[in-house]
Amino acid sequence: MTLIFAIAAGVVFGAGAFLVLTNDLVRVVAGMVLISQSAVLVVISSGLTRGDAPILPTGDKTPSDPLVQAMALTAIVIGLAVTALLLAIVARVRATLRSLEVRELARDEAEHTAELEQSLDTMHEQLASDEAKEEQ
Amino acid sequence: MPAPTTRSSAHAQRDPLAWTVALLALGGFVASILLWQDGGFTLDEPWAQQLDLRLHFSFDGIGALYALLATGIGAAVFTYATAYLPLHLDHQRRPARDRWRFWPWMGLFSLSMVGLATAQDLVLLFVLFDLTAVCSYFLIGFDRQERASRVAALMALLVTGAGAVTMLIGAAILYADHGTFSIPELARALHEQGPASTTTTVAAALIAAAALIKSAQVPLHFWLPRAMAAPTPVSAYLHSAAMVAAGVLVIGRTYQLLEVSQTVTDGLLVVGLLSIAIGGAISLTRDGFKQVLAYSTISQYGYVVVLYGIGGRAGAGAAAFYVVAHALAKSALFLTAGTVTMATGARKLSQVGGLWRELPLLAAVSAIAAATLSALPLTVGFFKDELFFHAAADHSTALGILSVVAAGLTFAYTWRFWTRLFLGPRRACDRAPSQPLDRLPLLLTLPIAALSLLAITGGIWSAPFVQLAGDAATATLGHHAEVHVAYRLAASTENLMALGAWALGALLLAAPALWRPAALALAHAGERVGPARVYESGLNFLNHLSTAFHDVEVRDLRSRVAAVLLPGGILVLLGFIATPTAGAFTVGSVSGTDLLVVAMLALVAVAAIVVTTTHEHVSIVLALAVVGLGLATVYALLGAPDVALVAMLVETVVTLVFLAIVAYAPRGERPTRRELEGHASRPHRRAHRSRRWRDPLIGAIAGGAAFLVVWASLSRPAATERVVDQQIELTPAAHGKDVVTVILADFRGLDTMVEITVIAVAVFGVIALLRRGRSW
Repeated sequence: MTLIFAIAAGVVFGAGAFLVLTNDLVRVVAGMVLISQSAVLVVISSGLTRGDAPILPTGDKTPSDPLVQAMALTAIVIGLAVTALLLAIVARVRATLRSLEVRELARDEAEHTAELEQSLDTMHEQLASDEAKEEQ
Repeated sequence: MPAPTTRSSAHAQRDPLAWTVALLALGGFVASILLWQDGGFTLDEPWAQQLDLRLHFSFDGIGALYALLATGIGAAVFTYATAYLPLHLDHQRRPARDRWRFWPWMGLFSLSMVGLATAQDLVLLFVLFDLTAVCSYFLIGFDRQERASRVAALMALLVTGAGAVTMLIGAAILYADHGTFSIPELARALHEQGPASTTTTVAAALIAAAALIKSAQVPLHFWLPRAMAAPTPVSAYLHSAAMVAAGVLVIGRTYQLLEVSQTVTDGLLVVGLLSIAIGGAISLTRDGFKQVLAYSTISQYGYVVVLYGIGGRAGAGAAAFYVVAHALAKSALFLTAGTVTMATGARKLSQVGGLWRELPLLAAVSAIAAATLSALPLTVGFFKDELFFHAAADHSTALGILSVVAAGLTFAYTWRFWTRLFLGPRRACDRAPSQPLDRLPLLLTLPIAALSLLAITGGIWSAPFVQLAGDAATATLGHHAEVHVAYRLAASTENLMALGAWALGALLLAAPALWRPAALALAHAGERVGPARVYESGLNFLNHLSTAFHDVEVRDLRSRVAAVLLPGGILVLLGFIATPTAGAFTVGSVSGTDLLVVAMLALVAVAAIVVTTTHEHVSIVLALAVVGLGLATVYALLGAPDVALVAMLVETVVTLVFLAIVAYAPRGERPTRRELEGHASRPHRRAHRSRRWRDPLIGAIAGGAAFLVVWASLSRPAATERVVDQQIELTPAAHGKDVVTVILADFRGLDTMVEITVIAVAVFGVIALLRRGRSW
């Protein structure tokens, strides 16, 4: 089973990594979801014992490891929070910028930054020439 | 001169902040004298024991000398600044509250100087060394509206800060060899070890480099002339007696670590001589008051470095004596420059002249300071050169001759400075006097008079100075040392050398045509290809590099992700290479309900691959739902009903929200912002054809690496001792039956609380993002 769990986690993680690198923001979010699913699977499969649910009375048999389950729960809930936030950002980006293409957004941002820097440079030059005038 | 009557100086006398700092410095001075006479003290407390660090301070000879300098010169300069700073702020039309950017740093600076003077531990020395650099950054950049000040402050911080780092590296090397940072213990260990090994030499050279940079020695001297952008009291304090003195202080303190290596002491000699020559020659060509003084400081600390290079009783004692005499004279001259600028508005020697008529008292007291610096008799300065000549002539004839030339240079630039200021015709300054001459606050002259008086006193009654230098030399060398000075009316070597130096200086002063072209050429060459250029281009290069990294890393999400994945992957790979593989991987057995789990995991894997192959958002969401629900089933089969239930719930919610987002705006229907603004949409996909195989490859590598890591970690043998049994046992005590619930709500309750906080923060984020959109 060790090998099976590892393969499943590896496939899900690889799919997630591929998606995170794509150009479409929705697919990027899907990639993040897959990566966190893979993490939860790893946590659960690292339980030291496997058996019935750890609910009292447990009887003679050893129950499943409850500690990893508690951690997996935490991971799932945090994953939910992250996903919700990412989706809200996606909605917001589309509403304001009307695009979900990562490259296009990056280019727009680069242009915007260049404009800002240019205006900043102009301001600095202005200041420098003022200073020079004062010196004279 | 009448009593101060202007508004600003009246205000100055009422400024409690300024006077508090000045009085504290004075109190520190008196306390230092008492402590020194009392024999000092030692404080040795553990600090960070795992790192073998101790708070080890000792008020020995060196501690006394530099503490007296820091507090004594400090008291004089601070008193001066109580009058100077309000005028300075007034001229720049800055609010009086800006003094809060001045006084606390001045106070902290003198405190860290005292700490540095007494520190006995290399790491402690480094920390305080850096603290002085930080203070100097804020003080040099005090006129922060001026670009020159900001550039100078950054330069001083970076250059001396880099020096501090070399000191730390040297300390770490010594610690690796001897297991202690304590300077006395290291000195003992090094002397038992005998001749210096290469590592010891490297460590000593690194520590010496830090000290030389701090004392503005060639070739890393260029920060000091730039730092003259600071207000004059800062220059008078930091750049005569404190900041630059910290360098030679470190040499004096770590001398026993440095002297084991002949290479290092020879290096000190060379660097010191170069600094004397270059600093002195350039000082003769400068026009700005403070530029002249800055280059002369470089040259003067060159003397001290040479003396430590000569070493022994003669060298160490003379060095300590020199530091004191120089600090007195140089701070007085700096303050003179500040007063002249306040009185006339001039900053350059070519703008002034004949000021002795208007400022007779200032002319007299600064003449004493100049006499001290140029080593005329009846001042403490005479003895500094006597000791210097004695040590140099004892070392070798060549060094003796060089020392005469050096002293001649000092004589020339010092008196050039003074005569240009106070003698000659009165020159009309194109600027209106910033402060009417008859209203110049007396406090802009009195501290200079006090310093000069001290210099004269030392020239007549040299005993305290001699004792101070002797104690410092004792602490430096680790065995008893004494300094002897006296006037000898005989044709002794030292006297002849002094006469030679004065004659040479007078010749240089009288015939500038002899040296001026050469000195100017040197200065120009330094500006064109000197180390300052290297610093500038280095800084520019770093700036460009950081911009380039920023562009690659931040302007593209893909690169940002790769910037995390790639180093992570490489580290994992290195871990695998370093770990033995034999028996590290187990396949595990499949039994009972495990077959169902295997089937579900296969479904999950297929669904995950489907997510990657489709571009339709709805299909993506549905395939994601299959992954999530499939995993929930796996959890249920593995005996984790709690996890399964939560996963089911979360998966449903996420799927619905995802669908809502996707359905709200079908992909590709709306025009992009670019199209709205009239730009044609560029064909991206074709442009990135080369990337078609890149992303799947990265994904496959990432997945493969994850698989290996997970397999390796799951294959580790199970721990024999488990907390689970304990937790099951304790569950009834927590009034619960479900062990998982009890763990979450009780055993790990704090974790859960933080988790809830994370959820709350995310909810606020979502609300903030959505409410400002048009959709709501």
